[in-house]
Amino acid sequence: MSSAFLLDLAQCIGCEGCVVACNTGNDVPDGAQYIAISEQVRGTFPDLAGGVANHRCYHCADAACVSVCPTGALYRDDGLTRVDASACSGCAYCVGSCPYDVPVMVDGVATKCDGCRDVVSAGGVPWCVETCPSDALRFGPREEIAAEAHARAAAHRGEKYPDAQVYGERQAGGLGVLVVAPEDPETLGLPADPKIPLPTTAWQEVVKPGGFYITSASVLIAGLAGVIARRNHAREMAQLEADHAANAAPTDDNGEVTS
Amino acid sequence: MARAQLKITRRQLLKSGAAVGVAGAIGSSGLRGAPAHAATDDGAWYRQGQIRTTYNVCDICPWHCGVLVHSVDGVVHKVDGNPKDPKAQGRLCARGQGGPSFMYDPDRLRSPMVRTGPRGSGEFEEVTWEYALDLVAQELGKIKERSGPEALAVFGHTGGDGWFADHFAQAWGTPNAAKSSSSLCLSPREEAATLTFGWPVGGHEPVDWDGLECVALIGSHIGEDARNTVMQGFAGLHRRGGTIIAVDPRFSSAATKADHWLPIKPGTDTALLLAWIHVLVTEGLYDADYVEQWTTGFDELAAHVEDKTPEWAAAITDLPADQIRETARSMAAHAPRSVIMPGRHVTWYGNDTQRMRAVFLVNSLLGAYGREGGFYFNRAPYIGDYALPPYAVEGSAGGCAAEPAEDDDPLGDLPLGPSGKARADGVQEAFLRGPTAMQELIEPMISGDPYRIEGLLVYGVNLLHTVPNPARTLEALKALDLVVAVDVLPQEHIAWADIVLPEATYLERYEDLYTIAHKTPYIALREPAVEPMYDTKPGWWISKELGERVGLESHYPWEDIEEYLDERLRSVGANLDDLRDADGIIVQDGRPYLDDFDGSSPFDTPSGKIELYSQLLADTGHDPLPEYEPTDEPPDGYFRLLYGRHPAHTFARTQNTPGLHRVYPENELWLNAGAAAELGVSDGDRVMLENQDGATDGPIKVKATQRIRRDAVFMVHGFGQASEGLSRAHGQGASDTKLQTRYQLDPISGGAGMRVNFVRISTEA
Repeated sequence: MSSAFLLDLAQCIGCEGCVVACNTGNDVPDGAQYIAISEQVRGTFPDLAGGVANHRCYHCADAACVSVCPTGALYRDDGLTRVDASACSGCAYCVGSCPYDVPVMVDGVATKCDGCRDVVSAGGVPWCVETCPSDALRFGPREEIAAEAHARAAAHRGEKYPDAQVYGERQAGGLGVLVVAPEDPETLGLPADPKIPLPTTAWQEVVKPGGFYITSASVLIAGLAGVIARRNHAREMAQLEADHAANAAPTDDNGEVTS
Repeated sequence: MARAQLKITRRQLLKSGAAVGVAGAIGSSGLRGAPAHAATDDGAWYRQGQIRTTYNVCDICPWHCGVLVHSVDGVVHKVDGNPKDPKAQGRLCARGQGGPSFMYDPDRLRSPMVRTGPRGSGEFEEVTWEYALDLVAQELGKIKERSGPEALAVFGHTGGDGWFADHFAQAWGTPNAAKSSSSLCLSPREEAATLTFGWPVGGHEPVDWDGLECVALIGSHIGEDARNTVMQGFAGLHRRGGTIIAVDPRFSSAATKADHWLPIKPGTDTALLLAWIHVLVTEGLYDADYVEQWTTGFDELAAHVEDKTPEWAAAITDLPADQIRETARSMAAHAPRSVIMPGRHVTWYGNDTQRMRAVFLVNSLLGAYGREGGFYFNRAPYIGDYALPPYAVEGSAGGCAAEPAEDDDPLGDLPLGPSGKARADGVQEAFLRGPTAMQELIEPMISGDPYRIEGLLVYGVNLLHTVPNPARTLEALKALDLVVAVDVLPQEHIAWADIVLPEATYLERYEDLYTIAHKTPYIALREPAVEPMYDTKPGWWISKELGERVGLESHYPWEDIEEYLDERLRSVGANLDDLRDADGIIVQDGRPYLDDFDGSSPFDTPSGKIELYSQLLADTGHDPLPEYEPTDEPPDGYFRLLYGRHPAHTFARTQNTPGLHRVYPENELWLNAGAAAELGVSDGDRVMLENQDGATDGPIKVKATQRIRRDAVFMVHGFGQASEGLSRAHGQGASDTKLQTRYQLDPISGGAGMRVNFVRISTEA
C-alpha cells in the first residue's frame, strides 16, 4: 500500500494556509518553499477565467530526482519521494532533472517536500493537509485518494467545471499527488507530458532528448551522475552557492514559481 | 512623514531570563534560517522531546479562532486550529500559522522605554516597569487634576484592548475611548443592523454556511480576506455546487470561483442593491409570508424602488441590466438559503450605513434571518462578570464583538464623565449615533474643540497606518501633553510616544475569557504557552498595575489573572482546569432559528419586527429607506484608490512577521493592463503614487493585470511602513493610509469612508 495526496484545484482559493503551515511545521529554510501559490487567470477584462495553481512536489513514481541521485539521499517510500538530507552530496542533479522544477539547493543541500514523513509516521497528516480551510487537500491510501479524486472530478463536471479531470495518474509513472483540475491541466501549468530538463552535456549523450521514461537505463544514469558528481563536486558547489543566492528571492505571488 | 529610528540607551540591563536565551537560539538557527537537514529524524522539533499543548485564541486577526499551541522545551513551534473550536474547526489560515513567527520576531519591543529626545526622534532609554508605570501614573494624574479624566483618550485594537479601551477607560472615567474596529471598520454595518433588526451583526457574520445554497459578495474577497470559518463555509458551498455571485471591481480570488462576476463601478453598490430589491418586489420573488409576519414597511419599500429598475442601475453601476435581473432571480430561487454577506470592513464612501441597510433589506426579502441555511441568530454565552464597583462612565468604545447599546434613543442623554463632559467625537451632531469614532477624536487633540484632549493611551493600534489623514494624526501627536503606547512592535507611532510599554504576545499571556456569540455560544481560553520573552508583560498585568497606581484599586481586586478567570468560570460551574480539560472551549446551546422562539419575536426594534422602513431614521432627518448617493468621480488622470487584504497579512500588523513577510513581502499596485500600457508602465515597474491632495507614497511594484477595472487601482493595506525598527517591513511597498488624506464621515454611524481618495501614477520612482 502507498499513500498519496489529493489536491483539488477547483477548491483551492490560494489562501496560502498550506504554505505557511508547511514552512513553520517543517522549519523550511529560507531560500526554499515547498509549496508555491500562483494565479492562473487568462482573458481580457471583463471576460476572464482561471484560478490558482498550487505548485509542489508531485512525488513521481518514476522519479527523475531519485534516479539521478548518486547517494540515495532521494528515495521512494510509501509511494512518495523522500529526502535524507544527511546523505546529500550537494551535486544538485535532482534540481536539473525534475520535470516540475521542484528541488532546490539551500546551503549546498537539496531540499523539497518529503510528504511530512515524520509527521505521518507519528500518526499525523501532512501539515498542509491538516490546516487547509478550503477542503482542497487530503492525504491517505492511494486507492482511496484516487477514488476521491475521480468522485470530485465527476461532481465538479456536474456543477461548474465541465472539463474537470484527474491529473497525475499517467504522468511520470503516476504521481503521488493526484490533482483534480477544474479544466485542462495545461492551463494551470501542469504539463500533459512532463519533460526532463537536461542539465549537463554528459547527460545529453545518455538520454535522448524529447522524452524521458524510466527504464533500466536509469541505473546507468545514476551511476554516471555519481561519477560526475564526485569529479565536479568542488566546482559545482561554488556555482550552487551562486544559484542559491539568485534563487533566494521570495516567491512571487502572481508570477512564476520560485525554485 | 518622519522616518524615526529607535535609538535606545540602556539605563539598566535587561532582565534577561531563559526566555531571552531561547529566543536568541531560535533567531539564529531555529525557525529562521534553519539548515536544510533540520527536518530529519533527530532534528524535527516534534521528535525532540515532550510536546506540550496549550490552548489559545489566535490574535493574528480579529476573527479569533481557537488554537492548539505546540511547544517543546519552552519553544513554541506550531499552532494549529483547535478541532473543538466552533470557528476554527481544526483548521487555520496562513496568518494563524504564522503565530510563532510573530512571537519570535527579533524586532519586538523588549523593555519599557522613556523618551529622551524630541517626539518623533525615536530616542529612548530603557527603564524598569516600576519606573515607567510610576511615570505614566504621575502624568495621568496631572491631566486628571488639571482637566478631568475626559481629557485622556484611550485607543485600542487587537485581542487585549478590553483591558484598556473598556475596563481601564471606564474605571478612569473617560468617554473618549475608541477602537479602530468600530468607526474605521464595521460601525456602519452594526448600526444598520441595529436599526433594522434591533441587534448588531456581532463579532462574526452569522451566515449558516452548512445549508446555504447561494451567496452574494459585495466586495468581500474571501480567500484574500482569509477569515478561517468563512473560507471553510465558502469552500463547502462551492463544493456543493452552490451559486456564488461576486460583486467586485476586481476579479478577486472569490470571483474566480463565482458563477456570476459583476465588475461594478466602485461606489455604486447601493444602486445595484436597490435594483435587486426592485426585481424581487416587482417580480414577486420575495418571501411574502416572511415579509408579512416578520417585517414592517414593505409598502413604503415597494414604492421606493418602483423606479429603481435594472436599467436605471445599469447606467450607474456599469453592469448589464440583464445580469442584474438574472442575479436577483438566482438569489430568489435559492431563498431562504440565500444571503448577501454582510461584509466586515464597510467604511467605504460615507453613505455606508445606508448601503448596509440595503444589504439587510435584500436579505430580509429573501426571508433569510433565523432560517436554516440563511442567517442564524447568534447569541453570547452565559457567564458571570467579576463583581466590581460601578464604572465612572458608561463605555462606548464598541469593537468587533460589542453588545448593542441598551438605550436605543439616539437623541437621549450621552453618558458623562466625572467632570461632566460627554464624548468629544461630535456624536449626535456630526453623526447620529454609534461607538466612539476614533478619527473624530484626533481634531480635539489639535483644536481643543469641543474640549482639549491632552493625553493618549494607545494600545495595539498602528496609529499612522490605521486612522486616515496620518499627517493630521502627526499634528495631534505633537500637540498632546502625554502619549503612552502599549504595543508588541516598534510601529511608526512608537517614536512619538513619551512612554512605551512592551506587551507580551498572545502566545505568552493569559487573557480575559473569550465569550463568542455564535450559533452555539462558547467560551474560549487564552493561556500562555511560554513565559513572556524579554522584559515584556501581559496586557492584563499592565492595566492592573496602572490602575492601582491611579487610585483604581477597587476595579482590580483580583490577585492575579488565574484568580480572575476562576471566579468568572465559577458562574458556569467550572474553573481553569475544567476549561483546559474541555480542550479550552466550553460550548453552550443556542437558539439559532425563528422556530426556537415559539412565535415570539427575536427582533429587538421598536416595532418588534424587521424595520424595512426606519421610523427612527425618518425622525432624525435621515433617509428612512436607502437612497443611492453618487460619490465623487476620479479627476482626469487619477484612479480611485481601493485597498483590501492579502491572505498572509492582517491590518498593518503582520508585515514584519518573518514567516509572513516571506510569503508576501511587499504590496503591489493592481493596475488595469490596458491603462498601464497607455501610461507606458509595465508589469513589475516601480512607481510613485500621488493623491488628489499631493500626498505621495511608494515606490510600489506595478501588477499590470486584466483583473481590475480601468477606473480604480488596488493595493493590499498595511504596507509602506516607515519605522526603521521594523527591519523587514520598513520601506516595503506603499501605504494606502498615507494616500488617504480624506475620508467621508458617515452621518449615521460616524464611520470614516476611505475609498474617496484618488491617485495618479508617476513613473519617476
